[in-house]
Amino acid sequence: MRGLSVFISDIRNCHNKEQERLRVDKELGNIRTRFKNEKGLSPYEKKKYVWKMLYIYMLGYDVDFGHMETVSLISAPKYPEKQVGYIVTSCLLNENNDFLRMVGNIGGKEFSESLAPDVQKLLISSSCRPVVRKKAALCLLRLYRKNPDVVNIDGWADRMAQLLDERDLGVLTSVMSLFVSLVSNNAEAYWNCLPKCVRILERLARNQDIPQEYTYYGIPSPWLQVKTMRALQYFPTIEDPNARRALFEVLQRILMGTDVVKNVNKNNASHAVLFEALALVMHLDAEKEMMSQCVALLGKFIAVREPNIRYLGLENMTRMLLVTDVQDIIKRHQAQIITSLKDPDISIRRRALDLLYGMCDITNAKEIVEELLQYLNTAEFAMREELSLKAAILAEKFAPDLSWYVDVILQLIDKAGDFVSDDIWYRVVQFVTNNEDLQSYAAAKAREYLDKPALHETMVKVSAYLLGEYGHLLARRPGCSPKELFAIINDKLPTVSTSTVAILLSTYAKILMHTQPPDVGLQQQILTIFKKYESYIDVEIQQRAVEYFELSRKGSALADVLAEMPKFPEREAEDAEVDTAEQSAIKLRSQQQTSSALVVADHPSANGSAPAANHLTLVKMPSQTVSDAQEISATYEEAPKPSVEAPNGNGPIEVESKATNITEINNEIKVEPPTSRSTSPADLLADLLGPLAIEGPPAAELHPAQGLDANQSPVGDLALATLEDQSNSVQPTVNVEEKFHILCTKDSGVLYEDPHIQIGLKAEWRAHHGRLVLFLGNKNTSPLMSVRALILPPSHLKMELSSVPDTIPPRAQVQVPLEVANLRASRDVAVLDFSYTFGTALVDAKLRLPVVLNKFLQPITLTPEEFFPQWKALTVHSLKVQEVVKGVKPMPLPEMANLFMSLHLAVAPGLDNNPNNLVACTTFFSEATRAMLCLVEGIHQGTFGRHPKDSGSPSSCPSTATIAFCSTCHIQ
Amino acid sequence: MIQAVMVISTQAKPRLLKFYNFQSPEKHQDIVRGVFQLLSARPDSVSNFVEVDGIFGPGTKMVYKHLATLYFVFVFDSSENELAMLDLIQVFVETLDKCFKNVCELDIVFNFNKLHTILDEMILGGQVIETSSEQIMKSVEEIGRLEKQSSTTSLIPKSISDRFSR
Repeated sequence: MRGLSVFISDIRNCHNKEQERLRVDKELGNIRTRFKNEKGLSPYEKKKYVWKMLYIYMLGYDVDFGHMETVSLISAPKYPEKQVGYIVTSCLLNENNDFLRMVGNIGGKEFSESLAPDVQKLLISSSCRPVVRKKAALCLLRLYRKNPDVVNIDGWADRMAQLLDERDLGVLTSVMSLFVSLVSNNAEAYWNCLPKCVRILERLARNQDIPQEYTYYGIPSPWLQVKTMRALQYFPTIEDPNARRALFEVLQRILMGTDVVKNVNKNNASHAVLFEALALVMHLDAEKEMMSQCVALLGKFIAVREPNIRYLGLENMTRMLLVTDVQDIIKRHQAQIITSLKDPDISIRRRALDLLYGMCDITNAKEIVEELLQYLNTAEFAMREELSLKAAILAEKFAPDLSWYVDVILQLIDKAGDFVSDDIWYRVVQFVTNNEDLQSYAAAKAREYLDKPALHETMVKVSAYLLGEYGHLLARRPGCSPKELFAIINDKLPTVSTSTVAILLSTYAKILMHTQPPDVGLQQQILTIFKKYESYIDVEIQQRAVEYFELSRKGSALADVLAEMPKFPEREAEDAEVDTAEQSAIKLRSQQQTSSALVVADHPSANGSAPAANHLTLVKMPSQTVSDAQEISATYEEAPKPSVEAPNGNGPIEVESKATNITEINNEIKVEPPTSRSTSPADLLADLLGPLAIEGPPAAELHPAQGLDANQSPVGDLALATLEDQSNSVQPTVNVEEKFHILCTKDSGVLYEDPHIQIGLKAEWRAHHGRLVLFLGNKNTSPLMSVRALILPPSHLKMELSSVPDTIPPRAQVQVPLEVANLRASRDVAVLDFSYTFGTALVDAKLRLPVVLNKFLQPITLTPEEFFPQWKALTVHSLKVQEVVKGVKPMPLPEMANLFMSLHLAVAPGLDNNPNNLVACTTFFSEATRAMLCLVEGIHQGTFGRHPKDSGSPSSCPSTATIAFCSTCHIQ
Repeated sequence: MIQAVMVISTQAKPRLLKFYNFQSPEKHQDIVRGVFQLLSARPDSVSNFVEVDGIFGPGTKMVYKHLATLYFVFVFDSSENELAMLDLIQVFVETLDKCFKNVCELDIVFNFNKLHTILDEMILGGQVIETSSEQIMKSVEEIGRLEKQSSTTSLIPKSISDRFSR
């Protein structure tokens, strides 16, 4: 194709990106003009332009026209045009594209239902050409994925069995792909096909009647062998003794008959078959004899030179860990696996790490963890975080003694501080706090590390924390007097970040408290530091400094307030954090009665006296098969975080104040919580400061009041009340709150996601009607059961949810349409009560639906000539409202314009002559009011005496804005 | 299923991109860059497997073959066998070799439409439709013949496309 080659050659001759862009733009312009006059285009030219478009698209440019021409090629009479049309359309457009829907109604459910019978006929018809039948099989597979109902017709299993008798290997390969998909969803319906699969394997393995073109490096279609064995892995067992015997014969032949040869391609192909056979043997849980044969083979593979085979050997060995009774045989290969940890290939190193992680138990933990620590020195950055997390988990789970665990974690922080998440050091602190035997050991270790010249900041945090709490236990040792401890910790103070400074201040206060009898010199030093930080820029530190300063002048009161940290509650006790208001009231009362000071240490731990051994089992291990880092970190996130004991950060605390003050403080917390629970260390500290924070409502429940939310706070309360009583063990993996807010200004996106399901949403709005589609996507390989969805609509919305299927098949997505009508204006929000069971877990989520007021707005543009006469014409007073809202957060104009746009308000220039003011118009629709014209104006304020022209570009300077709101209402 | 087939030059230029799970066009270049960074960091004589969860989502795998100045890359999910995918790359390359007689990067640059045609005969909607390079060639040649019939201008023979090489 000449024109295409010339164009490609031109692009290649461009010396820089700018030239390329110019050439592309020129070409796009050319194509656009040629397409405008479509009649004059020959089929050849059309093809040429469409290929050029695809080439430009590949280069990364947006091609947003010409879709019609591309699609029209598909309906051309000649095959070459059709073929090009199909290829390019499939690249440029996807099935959710509105354009494609418009042209061919492609991609919808109705489409798949009406198409499926014809495709099935083609597939079964023996008179069709093989190439058509191949495509029919894959087409049916695609339709089935979209909508499993398309092959639920009775008798399909029999037809499938017939299809598996196919002699043409090309057709059979496609049919097998379809079959794998069918059995993966419902193996039981296809029992009758099982012997057929065994027959196919026999035919291939014995090389009977295989055309030359379907042998690949002498191996009869490895793809078909692999797919067939894959299909067999979806059947739970094989009961038919004949089929079973025949299958094992074939498998035995594959296991024994595969050798490593020189030709790389042949090797790959034969081992593709071999590894699939191994997987099938593992699945069928064969006699022990065959299983140990498999382990022996894998042991051989992980030591061969060919890296691909080493990689797969390790991977399959990890899968093998699931099979009972082979762990001990695998352990014999430990040395070789550790060698793989030093392989030049990161892919192989990762596999080795996974395998070591999976095979670790109490017998080999010390050795494996020490290997991991050693490897940490040389591991690339990409792996360090995962590596340190895994080492930490293994150390905790299999520690032969607790001091070893402390050693490992401290080494970990020392070697890879940047890659050790806060959770890991929180965990070790928690451990030490809960195990008295460990406390002086840990403090001594921390003291040792402080002597090192360059110390990671995390290490400073742990050491300071541990020495603050338990440093006094070392008092008799050399170099551990309070004065010396203070000096060595204080050395670090100038170089650390704010969050560490906060910890150090607490440590100083603790040292001060533990120094008995008081050392005047030390006290002076520490007080000077507190004094200095009283005017520090960070408010948290400022507050600590002020409070510690005051406290340290109270003498014995200090000892009360800064008593040793109580034991951390057990994992399960996390629920205690979500105390009901009633319970916290009781606790509060008891505090009021017993104490006149803030007795922080009195907080009872729910299960504080649990034996240490119990603690070791606290961390839920991820299943041994999948060493999914996500899961691991989830486990870690569950760990309660230790907090540095300090006065609560929410209100000024006066020590003189008596019990009544506590109530006040509590009230204050309720009204003004810390800004939602974020994961930044500083916030964690603020969140978890002492029991007072625990007594108050959890921060996460409260609603950040800013921007949009201000309007919706009643809504927030409503939904939160329902969210609270969720007792789920499965937690969303996204911030549901945030997703809701995003969807308030967008029409498609994710509403909710947890490890099992993703709920997406797409919405269309027309006047006071809305059509939403919920996309329920099962992320697992097993189905989600008892799926329920219920809408709790507020009184102003009429909502109709289509029925939701009871089960969502594995990896399937279900679409549930939802019709909405807006009856009148209101700020209430509908809630979707969604639940399902996965395994034994019942998950129930109450989700706010983004059906909010602004969705029923339709932007219009008005000119002053249109607006003012209309506004003045409305003489009846009740027909117009004007409202001024003051104190709106200042915002740069472009940002405000964007905000308006996302709220369906059209910015209308010219309605206000001042360029610093922004006016936007829209129409609001509801059944009661029909169309109502609304005008929103952002008025610039507060730059008196300063002409806008002086301020450079006024649009970029943040203006203090008030929003004036006026609306006219006229019934049409 | 197969999620993507990519041919990327060792200069990080995409030569063929085909996504079977729709990826928005804005993401294409990021993907190419991400994949290229991974591949260019890998020495020869290591395995052909790379984990790409970060780019294509959890559970996805990638195999590649580095031949002369090109990377041939297949991305797929857990339902496919890794080595079988590697074999498939070999079939693809062998078919290209048959089609262009000793294929080189320039053939691929200038005949990117032909590459799409060949790939389309081999993989349909993310599923393998044909594994025999003879069969694939037969279909491709037939399309070529039909094309000649339907238009007077023929495909540019290789000798001409060579002229554009630098």
